[in-house]
Amino acid sequence: MVRHYRVYWVALLVLLLGVFVLSQQQNPSQQPSPSSQNPASPEAPTPGAESKSQEKQENATPNEKPVQQPPAIHNDVVIKGGMLLTVTHGRIENGSIYIHNGKIAAIGANVQAPANATVIDATGKWVMPGIIDSHSHIALDDDVNEATSPVTPHMMMKDAFDYNDKMIYRALAGGVTTSLLLHGSANMIGGQAIVIKHKYGLGRDELLFPGAPQSIKFASGENPKRVYGSRNQLPSTRMGNFAVMRQAFLDAREYMRDWDDYDAKAKKGDKDARPPKKDLKLEALADILRGKLLVQIHCYRADEFLTEMALAKEFGYKVRAFHHAVEAYKVADKIAANGVAIATWPDWWGFKYEAWDGIPWNAVISMHKGVRVALKSDSEDVTRRLNQEAGKIIHYGNVSEEDALKMITLNPAWIIGVDDRVGSLDVGKDADIAIWNSYPLSSVALVDKVLIDGDLFFDRSLPGLGMPHYKEGQ
Amino acid sequence: MLKKLLIVFALVAVAAAQQPNKSKAAAAPAPGNSGTIVLKGGKLLTITHGVIDNGVIVMENGKITAVGGASTAIPHNAKVVDVTGMTVYPGLIDSETHLGLVEIEADRMTVDTVETSDEIMPHMHVYDAFHAESALIPVTRINGITNAIVAPAAQDTLPGQDSFIELAGASAQEMLMVRDIAMPLNFTGKQRRNESFQNSKFPSTRMGMAAQLRQAFIDAQDYDQKLQAYEKKKSSGSSGGNGDDKDKDKDKDKDKGPGNPPKRDLKLEALLPYLHGERPVVLAAEEPNDLQTALGLAREFHLKVILNHVTHSSSLLNMIAATGLPVIVGPIYEQPKESERYDAVFKLPAELAKRGIKIAFASYDTHNARNLPYVAGYAVAFGLPYDDALKALTINPAQMWGVDKELGSLDVGKRANIVVANGDPLDVRTDVKHVFINGQEIPLVSKQTQLRDQYWK
Repeated sequence: MVRHYRVYWVALLVLLLGVFVLSQQQNPSQQPSPSSQNPASPEAPTPGAESKSQEKQENATPNEKPVQQPPAIHNDVVIKGGMLLTVTHGRIENGSIYIHNGKIAAIGANVQAPANATVIDATGKWVMPGIIDSHSHIALDDDVNEATSPVTPHMMMKDAFDYNDKMIYRALAGGVTTSLLLHGSANMIGGQAIVIKHKYGLGRDELLFPGAPQSIKFASGENPKRVYGSRNQLPSTRMGNFAVMRQAFLDAREYMRDWDDYDAKAKKGDKDARPPKKDLKLEALADILRGKLLVQIHCYRADEFLTEMALAKEFGYKVRAFHHAVEAYKVADKIAANGVAIATWPDWWGFKYEAWDGIPWNAVISMHKGVRVALKSDSEDVTRRLNQEAGKIIHYGNVSEEDALKMITLNPAWIIGVDDRVGSLDVGKDADIAIWNSYPLSSVALVDKVLIDGDLFFDRSLPGLGMPHYKEGQ
Repeated sequence: MLKKLLIVFALVAVAAAQQPNKSKAAAAPAPGNSGTIVLKGGKLLTITHGVIDNGVIVMENGKITAVGGASTAIPHNAKVVDVTGMTVYPGLIDSETHLGLVEIEADRMTVDTVETSDEIMPHMHVYDAFHAESALIPVTRINGITNAIVAPAAQDTLPGQDSFIELAGASAQEMLMVRDIAMPLNFTGKQRRNESFQNSKFPSTRMGMAAQLRQAFIDAQDYDQKLQAYEKKKSSGSSGGNGDDKDKDKDKDKDKGPGNPPKRDLKLEALLPYLHGERPVVLAAEEPNDLQTALGLAREFHLKVILNHVTHSSSLLNMIAATGLPVIVGPIYEQPKESERYDAVFKLPAELAKRGIKIAFASYDTHNARNLPYVAGYAVAFGLPYDDALKALTINPAQMWGVDKELGSLDVGKRANIVVANGDPLDVRTDVKHVFINGQEIPLVSKQTQLRDQYWK
């Protein structure tokens, strides 16, 4: 995580110095795919297997059409005349945004843009950054949960990603531009997530958020113990849950030590040194301990937040966020002290015992005690109207417009690890922008247009599905 | 540190101790005579006669006794509540919930939503299971929902009979305003017993569902005839007969007496009021084919119908309009069909209302039935006129359920179920400030507000 912060600051500096250089570097096609940073990925190079892995990559998707580029990434776009909700620096009335090469190049009341820029008239409209859903399971068909073992960190959601799922479009039409697609909650240590941009109509790899850090899903409490307990397997209790995790990390430590020993011997030129067997599962667990993965934990109960944080301390990794987190308000100060965020619903409760004490003031109490709070959907339905979920937080009181907006933009961006790229209307950020016909935190607001990387992906005024990049039957 | 932890654990323990079933908040104050209360200065959404700015509304003995402008006379001994700047509207009616039938969905012991041992279960009465002390009821009413339909869940074609409740009262007796108000008839395909090929049992297809329903209604008709024949014999026996063209037979029967009544069959007996058209059947269908099959069955037996869902039947909107039947619409949050535009279901209420169809909204929820008004708000976003949206939460359901003499608008003589909020009732940002049920102010307290107050320091 420390490494990640460094990236953040460096990126910020670069942004301040020169937006254009950076924006060219971040051209999607030149970015390494998220999985290539991860040794556990089947497509990633493993020592002594470079050529093989390359072959694999080339043959990865034989049936797929050649990668389609969006018809016209407009080099220069200006959104003119709207009420801008920047999320980081208040409202700008009658403001404009100049977009160059997919990035926000300028924003303000008076913005200079080239005369030939494409103009989007937003007079009378509300303009905000695209919504970010930090907990979603769309576009994974029924491959969400590898519920056959409580420890499956080597499951890669990318391998199940159905980029043609219409849910990506429907969420887009609700203003969502980025989602974290997570493994299910059957396993204490589940699979590794993908971060997508909702560029529906493009090819699979173009929907993957370039350069986004890799997240892994953990779960705790009732779900793992129910799934395995019902088969009379370990774990069937919360004791069992945590014992399974502890054993997994102890195994990973041993695996890491074996490799360290081998590396040390090899370095000394020991010809008899033999490499240990590569094990995808242990490799992925080692990545958690090495701090390479953002840990996203499905967790409801107050005591379990504390246990999870203690376990993380014991094994030296960091928890990025507690998801669902319906009892966060009970121990919010401790969650805040550990720098852990929460991704919660505004008002879901009572559907199981560990959700019985859920209250709609959870988000705002946690926020006031210093926790970074995101509102997420975990639902094919709610992901289409997260703006209303943020509106509900205003109903439940004591929150500013900006803080409510952050809960569906910048805060989920932080949880995913892309807050230096998206989540606010700031110079240098990706031009992921939703334009609304009325105040977005209300019941009656509709999305008029959505831009991703400066390109128009949804336009309500268009016939059919309202998507410039999509043709039926594609 | 240890001390702090101990405190935290103590607090958690206190919270846990509160969990089992009955929090104090669940026990509602007894409604009834509570003196005279006046709400003064608010914007009144009367539903039936427009909006009154700076209005006055008087409640006495549980009823509304005056509604008008600023000059409306205020009884001298009344308790006056200043609601200047607030919006005042009738309590909202949720046309489908499982309130009082479920506490924690994942815990079977707290779930009484449906009896799945058979598909034809019209003799299941939700009032027999209704749990008046449910913690969910205060959670719901403090967001302005004062009345609701409690329905059994939809796994059976005929899962039982609905009750109409008020969300406050000293006991289940008081809260159950109308028992057996209607009977769901579910025909969505989800009632098939086709879990797997090996475990299938009848009815595992829609043909099976339809045949089974038809047989049930035919059996009930037979039962009805036997009952009527018996009653006729009995009454002719006691009255001595008067000018009938079957005098001969009657004389013969008189000698024998009416005999034993037909053996009572609760299941068939439960269907009779519906066969007689005395109460409505709530006919649930989503797809156009299901809607037509189920409507055909309903016509065959002359059932009185309220339509439910019609979620994917947008191709039949004109047909629905021609029937003149009212519709409980939704959930509008259902996904559209694969090829449809994203808003195909969101705009269904607007499309129905445009054709003059009377619609009502339902939360189809229980823990979050409180979010009912936002369904209507979202339908407005997709083209439903605002006034129609408000009516679909108030006067329309009141009329559909036959309780419009008592509920559904701010009118003199109606039950004083009144909500005061700090803004538009359909908006997610709006906070409810007062709730009156049967003229009694309901404390804005629930299990959830108690937890909030315990931890928000």
